[in-house]
Amino acid sequence: MEKKIRYLGAYKTNMESKDLTKKVEKNIRIIARLDIKGPNLVKGIHLEGLRVLGSPNDFARKYYKEGIDEIIYHDCVATLYGRNSLLEFVKKVSSDIFVPLTVGGGIRSLEDANKLLRSGADKVAINSALIDNPGLISQIIGEYGSQCLVLSVEAKLQKVDNWEVYTSNGRDRTGINVLDWIEKCTKLGVGEILLTSIDREGTGKGSDIELLKRVNSITKIPIIYSGGIGTPEHFINAVKNGGADGVAIADMIHYKKYNIRQIRKAAIKENINIREYV
Amino acid sequence: MKKYKTKDVLKIYNLPKEVQFCKNCTISNQRPRISLDNQGVCSACNFAIYKKNKINWKSRKDELMKLCDKYRKKNGDHDIIVPCSGGKDGSYVAHQLKYEFGMNPLAVTWAPLKATQIGRSNLDNFIAAGFDHVLGTPNPILTRKLTKLAFQYQGDPFTPFIYGQYNFPLQVALKYNINIVMYGENGEVEYGGDMKNAFRPTRDLTDADKHYFSNIPPEYWTKYKINKYDLKPFMAPSLKSLIKNNIQVHFFSYYKFWDPQENYYYCKEHTGFNPNDERSEGTYSKYASLDDQIDGFHYYLSYIKFGIGRATSDTAHEIRDEKITRDEGILLVNKYDHEFPKKYFKVFLDFCDIKEEEVHSIIDSWRSKHLWRKKLDTWELIKPIWKVKT
Repeated sequence: MEKKIRYLGAYKTNMESKDLTKKVEKNIRIIARLDIKGPNLVKGIHLEGLRVLGSPNDFARKYYKEGIDEIIYHDCVATLYGRNSLLEFVKKVSSDIFVPLTVGGGIRSLEDANKLLRSGADKVAINSALIDNPGLISQIIGEYGSQCLVLSVEAKLQKVDNWEVYTSNGRDRTGINVLDWIEKCTKLGVGEILLTSIDREGTGKGSDIELLKRVNSITKIPIIYSGGIGTPEHFINAVKNGGADGVAIADMIHYKKYNIRQIRKAAIKENINIREYV
Repeated sequence: MKKYKTKDVLKIYNLPKEVQFCKNCTISNQRPRISLDNQGVCSACNFAIYKKNKINWKSRKDELMKLCDKYRKKNGDHDIIVPCSGGKDGSYVAHQLKYEFGMNPLAVTWAPLKATQIGRSNLDNFIAAGFDHVLGTPNPILTRKLTKLAFQYQGDPFTPFIYGQYNFPLQVALKYNINIVMYGENGEVEYGGDMKNAFRPTRDLTDADKHYFSNIPPEYWTKYKINKYDLKPFMAPSLKSLIKNNIQVHFFSYYKFWDPQENYYYCKEHTGFNPNDERSEGTYSKYASLDDQIDGFHYYLSYIKFGIGRATSDTAHEIRDEKITRDEGILLVNKYDHEFPKKYFKVFLDFCDIKEEEVHSIIDSWRSKHLWRKKLDTWELIKPIWKVKT
């Protein structure tokens, strides 16, 4: 219960989110993204060449202690291997960390979502399975509510103003336009979007701000942006110019280029409405 | 349509009749020249263990520095050749030699049979990172003819590219008076094959025909009415001239620990390398062998001849590099190895000026009875790795 009260800002639902921002400044979240492969935390560039960095739960605990607002656990080879191996990680780590935990990768059914949510995940993020079966959206939100379901989108620029949806950690093309897909899923009731730019992912060279702006212009649900955030300035840019509600960071903190405190401090200096953490 | 007789794959490649898989990785004893020890572990896996535990990499690095010190020219002339397509491996070697070892490398590219956009863009990015570069493009009419012949009669359309990849840098070495040609990894040693060169930095110049050209050197094609003088760009300079000019072929993998994934990271940072837009057909990766629209057929034919497709090769070395487990590797082989390279099939048909039915007839002529059986009009492997109990 403790975390739900403390981090209410992270629990904006579909209906509340953008309406709320009109009245009061929206609450921005710093989110650690942990890509997981087998027993390891990994990190790639453009979602490719996954380098092993260590134990995901060790990193998660460390980020929790440093004051992260949310954590994403993403099994990035779940679709590739047709498996979902995060259950045990989630069980172990959710008893130690008290910030919202989003879990993604390999969730194909209501049953899969159910298991993860009962093991301590607060939200589930789904990509491939929703493409194969958009009906899963109504099943999950019917059972658990919109706030539980995160639409995970892997986007890659094809030509100007045209991004394509990818699956299997940036391996396979779908032929689906990112904006059309997000519009459709917004109507179907997903609660949040985890938007990953494959072009920027792992580069530390800043966000795909055009993508973020375009997505922001067509949906009112909260957007977590992921990909290319290499400095606190990139974080600030994604929020101020791109309109992100949360920014997922990985490379920058995994490789200790910056810590969460530095990002928070920089954001506060820029008058971004972010949770104060002492 | 021309009829193609079934080839005796066992005899041509001197393969064991009983398929056996390495207990550690996904490769089988059908890879030419590979050996499995009495524990059932392949030579490449044994070498991977050896290189992780036994080699003193500091002293190997010193050895390379000594070699560089000996041949460094310091007068603006090029002193080392790096065969390089702009991919992650050659680019890494060239960049290291220039910036870590103070050499003045000449990067040499043998043109792909049919370049991809991403391959060309990576090559441009690499050159732009500060390299002198020579591109060798053989007569395209002849190249297409050779590609077709090699596909028809050798079951590998990639042969003309492989000729140039090994022989053109030697030609350039002679012309530019450069003694050292530095390749990336020694494929025979790293991926399984003849281990005679495992413990030395160089290779015998005379090994090329056996190790790289399956005993079919460029001059073989004169029997199909190709003029021997026209074949010259594909041929190695005479052995005599190479010896006389002290031209040596070295492998960077002898001097520095070879990890293709780390090369990707290196080139992403230093040479503007980008992976492909999507995974390559026949496998799961996006960052290896991106330059040529034809190379999918090279891997596919390897799948037909040896039951070893692109995913098998990729998983085998990723298991040795400890990037994935053997079980994961087997899943990936099952999922991707059989995938036909359809993305560039039309390109391939046009390039070889060949009909689709003929392609399938050629492919089927390389299916050996010891590997394949037909079940209800569909070919299947008799003993795929995922059906083998360990």
